[in-house]
Amino acid sequence: MAREFQRGHKAKISDLTAGTDLYVGVRIAAPGLTFDISCFGLDADEQLSDDRYFVFFNQPKSPEESIQLLGPQAGDTESFRVTLEKIPTAVRKLAFTATIDGDGQMSQVAPGYIRLVAGGEEVARYAFTGAEFSTERAVMLADIYFKDVWRFAAVGQGFDGGLAALLRNFGGEVAEDEPAAEPAPQAAPGFAPPPGGPAPAFAPPPAATPPPAPAPSFALPGGGATPPPLPPPPPAPGQQGFTPPPGSGDPAIHQAPTMIAPLATPPAQAPPFGEVPPPVAPPVPPPPPAYGGGPTPPPFPQQPSFGAQQVPPGPPMAAGPSYAAAPTQGAGIQVSMQKYREQPTGQRWTQQNPKMMRADLGQGGGQAVLARQGSMVLYQGKVEFAYKGAGFRGRVVGAMTGQEMQLMRCTGGGQVFFAENAAYLHPVELQNDALCVSAENVLAFDEGLQHEVRRIEGHGIPGGALYTMQFQGTGTVVVKTHGTPVVLPVTPTTYADSNAIVAWSAGAQVIVSTQVRLRRSAYPGHSGETVNLQFRGAPGNFIVVQPYEV
Amino acid sequence: MIAGHAPKPVTARMENHGSSMLKVAMATGQDLFARTGSMVAYEGFIQYEPNPPAVRQMASAWLTGESAPVMKCSGDGLLYLADYGADVVCLNLNNESVSVNGTNLLAFDAHLQWGVERVKGLAKFAGQGLFNVAVSGTGWVAITSRGTPIVVDCGSGADETYVDPDALVAWSSGLKMKAKRSFKASSLIGRGSGEAFQIAFSGQGFVVVQPSEDSTDRLRARG
Repeated sequence: MAREFQRGHKAKISDLTAGTDLYVGVRIAAPGLTFDISCFGLDADEQLSDDRYFVFFNQPKSPEESIQLLGPQAGDTESFRVTLEKIPTAVRKLAFTATIDGDGQMSQVAPGYIRLVAGGEEVARYAFTGAEFSTERAVMLADIYFKDVWRFAAVGQGFDGGLAALLRNFGGEVAEDEPAAEPAPQAAPGFAPPPGGPAPAFAPPPAATPPPAPAPSFALPGGGATPPPLPPPPPAPGQQGFTPPPGSGDPAIHQAPTMIAPLATPPAQAPPFGEVPPPVAPPVPPPPPAYGGGPTPPPFPQQPSFGAQQVPPGPPMAAGPSYAAAPTQGAGIQVSMQKYREQPTGQRWTQQNPKMMRADLGQGGGQAVLARQGSMVLYQGKVEFAYKGAGFRGRVVGAMTGQEMQLMRCTGGGQVFFAENAAYLHPVELQNDALCVSAENVLAFDEGLQHEVRRIEGHGIPGGALYTMQFQGTGTVVVKTHGTPVVLPVTPTTYADSNAIVAWSAGAQVIVSTQVRLRRSAYPGHSGETVNLQFRGAPGNFIVVQPYEV
Repeated sequence: MIAGHAPKPVTARMENHGSSMLKVAMATGQDLFARTGSMVAYEGFIQYEPNPPAVRQMASAWLTGESAPVMKCSGDGLLYLADYGADVVCLNLNNESVSVNGTNLLAFDAHLQWGVERVKGLAKFAGQGLFNVAVSGTGWVAITSRGTPIVVDCGSGADETYVDPDALVAWSSGLKMKAKRSFKASSLIGRGSGEAFQIAFSGQGFVVVQPSEDSTDRLRARG
């Protein structure tokens, strides 16, 4: 599930994806305008000290190919491949910018985005609209920068001048000293020098000698002096072996939305790198023949009402027409709902949003899923649900506490959506490890996992004991938490409230410690006695605690 | 910190302010029906008419004898609505039609056609009876969802999409729906009573579900 970024948001790339081979796609468009999308590889002082790291249409890759320009694809106006570990240490920041080629201003821009794709899955997206800008002619969209680790930041900052001014801002030089270098509004291409001027080569600072790479000549002589047309975007994908080989697997099947997906399909292949998920939405079946007999809603983003001057109103996705025009030019339901659409992937467990999980029973060898009763909110296909007791041991436990864990067994082929009480869900993938989860926090798990109920006894625990489920083997457990949990390493002094604990690695040993000396008034309604669990274990063990005491 | 939450300029009739507050730009002549009790703030001159006669008639099926659960808002200004922190989704109908679960409806333009329907055969299932409001026309509708909703397309294949009625938020009106009971005594899905049932949708269209099986009507429960 792609994380939506707002202007100014930052995140570690390692939190978004484990991969370091990233695809950066930019979509920016406006009626009648063309854009130059470039990537500046800046040093620690945010200067372009080495112009070989200015990747743009005339220089499609950096020397060691850590940054490559791929050209338009998969709905993106421009795309880059960034291989983080290949980036030399001199380059600490990649600034992705878009500049208008020619006349125009950023406020005309239709809703667009910059997105980060890793392993065939979109992991981050920063959407913007022209409403966020005014008369700027360039915009710094996002940065990938190194501060201890590589991070991604949504910038969305407009910049008044064109590409030349941007370049100067980054310490590059446009070899052109005439004051007229500032592109006049009428000047044709954004960074074009005035007609008749000497062909300005984009010159690196004097210290740096021109690189062996095709010198990024910025020359665009105006006047009649042999104007070379703007070089077309390099047809990089093919020669760099970047596009998925035709016919590699058939991801389309698994990328189709959950509808009666074929059950006997080959296991999904991890889409190759270049396989980029569709830009806005998964392929949606053709709009139904007119709900209510009306015209089918226009597909996003062709909005006829976005005139050249009109600021596209509304949030980027729910791009409705302006309030005055509302009754006549509706965007339609489909547009409003676009961002809530199901996210199809070919995996067995897919997180649809922080609170909803989809299990594709046909995947993963067709093994059954055990889930808490009542956690199914929707299913498609032939799925059978059957009562599943907690087993003999569980029944003993249940008889003692009156709280047997009620499970159901989902079998068959199809897709089941699980959610409960709008709690946050976290899929935990076990690969031959073991995990203990407090029984209340288990939502669903693969049947292939061995699970047993363990009892932690302690004086003072409500109900006499704390029940946990220990999972072992290979498979996925979906854990639910109220609020964002914290993961703590186990140290000699790790304590957790028995009510707030969610899970811990099975290697940690639990000791119940009771503190009786809290004053009665400390917690209203509390007996004054509180039970903590102390954890002991080798380094590497962890515990997970939620901000909510059941 | 405070500055970060100031209202943004109005760009549409209905907009989200954050995930769980709805901002409506009101203008004279463009009245709005909103759930009674959902107003959290307003700016300008807005008048509220609880229990308007026209609505009382329309919503008679919805009622259990008390006043109608919607009020008519008219005037000029900005109106902020919320439903106990539930996520709000604004829908812009373009000569389309959508059915919304009664408890998940927050507000809609008064000029839209709407009617209360009792889902045939399903009324006794969900606790207080499942009522849905069918809204059609061209205009804005705001719905609420406990947690981020998800939109699922119903296929045209032989299989149907089955939804837990407590999690159902809205669906496109073209869909056929019917009740499905799991007769096996051992299969206990759904919440509470031990009666296992789902709603099966078939046809072309979409279904919106929320990640929670809490279908209580909080605005109503408050009285």
